[in-house]
Amino acid sequence: MQDVDSSGTRSRNDAGADSGPPVSAGSHPKAQEHSSPPAIELRSVTKTFILESGEELTAVRDASLTVARGEFVCVVGPSGHGKSTLLNLIAGFIEPSQGEIFVNGEPVEGPGPDRGVVFQRDTLFLWRRVAANISFGLEARGVPKQERKATVERYLKTVGLEDFAGAWPRQLSGGMRRRVAIAAVFANEPDVFLMDEPFVGLDYLRRAQLHKVLLDLWAEGGHRAVFMITHDVDEALALGDRILVVKEGRIVEDVEVGLPRPRSTYMITGEEASIIRRSVVLHFGDLEIA
Amino acid sequence: MSSAGRGTGSAPEGSDPGVPPSTVRDEAPTAKSKARRIHPLAVLSFLAVIAAWQASSVILGETVGYKRVPGLEDIFRSFIEYAGYWQGGLGAESTRTGAEPTNWGATLGLGHNTFVTMLRTIAGYSIGVITGIGLGFLIAWSKIARGVLTFPAHLARMMPLLAMIPLFALWFGDSELGVLTFIAFAVGILLFAITINAIGNVPLHYWQYARSLGASPLRAYARVVFPAAFPQLRGGLLLAVAFSWSAALAAEFLGQQVGLGHVLQSALYYASTDVVALTGLVVIVFAAVTYLAANKTLAWLTRWAE
Repeated sequence: MQDVDSSGTRSRNDAGADSGPPVSAGSHPKAQEHSSPPAIELRSVTKTFILESGEELTAVRDASLTVARGEFVCVVGPSGHGKSTLLNLIAGFIEPSQGEIFVNGEPVEGPGPDRGVVFQRDTLFLWRRVAANISFGLEARGVPKQERKATVERYLKTVGLEDFAGAWPRQLSGGMRRRVAIAAVFANEPDVFLMDEPFVGLDYLRRAQLHKVLLDLWAEGGHRAVFMITHDVDEALALGDRILVVKEGRIVEDVEVGLPRPRSTYMITGEEASIIRRSVVLHFGDLEIA
Repeated sequence: MSSAGRGTGSAPEGSDPGVPPSTVRDEAPTAKSKARRIHPLAVLSFLAVIAAWQASSVILGETVGYKRVPGLEDIFRSFIEYAGYWQGGLGAESTRTGAEPTNWGATLGLGHNTFVTMLRTIAGYSIGVITGIGLGFLIAWSKIARGVLTFPAHLARMMPLLAMIPLFALWFGDSELGVLTFIAFAVGILLFAITINAIGNVPLHYWQYARSLGASPLRAYARVVFPAAFPQLRGGLLLAVAFSWSAALAAEFLGQQVGLGHVLQSALYYASTDVVALTGLVVIVFAAVTYLAANKTLAWLTRWAE
């Protein structure tokens, strides 16, 4: 599976041409070592929407994918090419037109607490204070009060907001709100984290700080599987074990990021990272800039 | 630790490591004090209305056996007429027994009738709020309820409210239930439409987020959709306060033996425009007080809103 292509990247497949067949994105080596089912599995999933005009729009085409437990997968690709649809399918917010989706071997039949979702849009409940936001999922799942309190305190500390437990969301800055949103999802301890551009709109420094927060939470949670959409290839290089490229509804590339952790700025701007970046970015098309 | 965000309500990004929320002000004090200051033009316009009223009173005079527009003096002098609406007791005899009207009797008469109308207004408003918002949420929640109730509810909404008074009078007679039902109907039908609209405007991702955190559909609806829609109900709830006063007076106008609506009805019978005007002023004062109280309560309930 892990072929080395002509550009030097370790690709999980040999596809990648824009018009080529869809890639069956392979599983992580870790998954193959265990007999337990993968965290996420898509089998030939297609999603077609019927527009108001009556026309059909296929957002995801014949996508197959396996994400191992503990794997951090970043998904990049042009806007409007089906990344968010893919995430919504895994989250159970929409149903596939064809194909099957499994999480931990169980078929997806709607949203559930086994899949925590961090949205691109602000989802904090404005009428609940910060601590109450983080405990929402725990309350919903009937976690006892004392346990809830301890969990909330732990996650507030991890994201550095222990002094803001009693604040309203509107009293927080954008970066702080993102931290609360991520903490709320991680505190619920799902098996799979689905993130749709969680750091969009933040400056470089804030993103870097939040990457660290995210990785700390990921480590604290026992490295559960993460499926994160991003427009930023550098972000994918900083965070991901794998980078998937989605174009025109197809997974056209699946690259392993072999960089060791923790990753420094030097590493993600180094030669190995540049080779991966180039192979990913070229899928966006050979743009003529200036 | 920057102080830039203290006056604006949100903590500055640079202060991430720890500006305790107690130091974050909700509102800039200057904005607050500015909002409370009465504009000089408002005072002028108020005085202009008073002057125009008084001028109309003088110009029109007593043209048809009674004053079409009573002067300010007439209005304040008519206060004593309220003694006629006191049943007797608490040191003031009823004028119906031949006793002379007194200021104390008038005070009790005004107080009693105002109290009754206010109680009816508050009770009818509360019932209307619960049924109107409840019906809106039920219709938004349940497909069956939507199918069964949407058409009749919208039909009822389009009926002219004042034209419904005789119908309510025929159904309920001059009973207390009739008055309360009418006020509740007026408030409920208004809030029903506003609730449907408010729920429709709650972003879908709130629902999806709550469900992905493990909330049942009912919990997501009660704990997320309802509070998310609440700020949009605020305007409707305030509008309904004024509406409920109008509805109470209209309902009392037909057949009730006590209440400000009854006072208005009697005053109309005797062509006492001064009593009508004074009662109108009393209603304005109490409607304003209840409006301000409701506004304050709703502001507190939505203090989290951006």
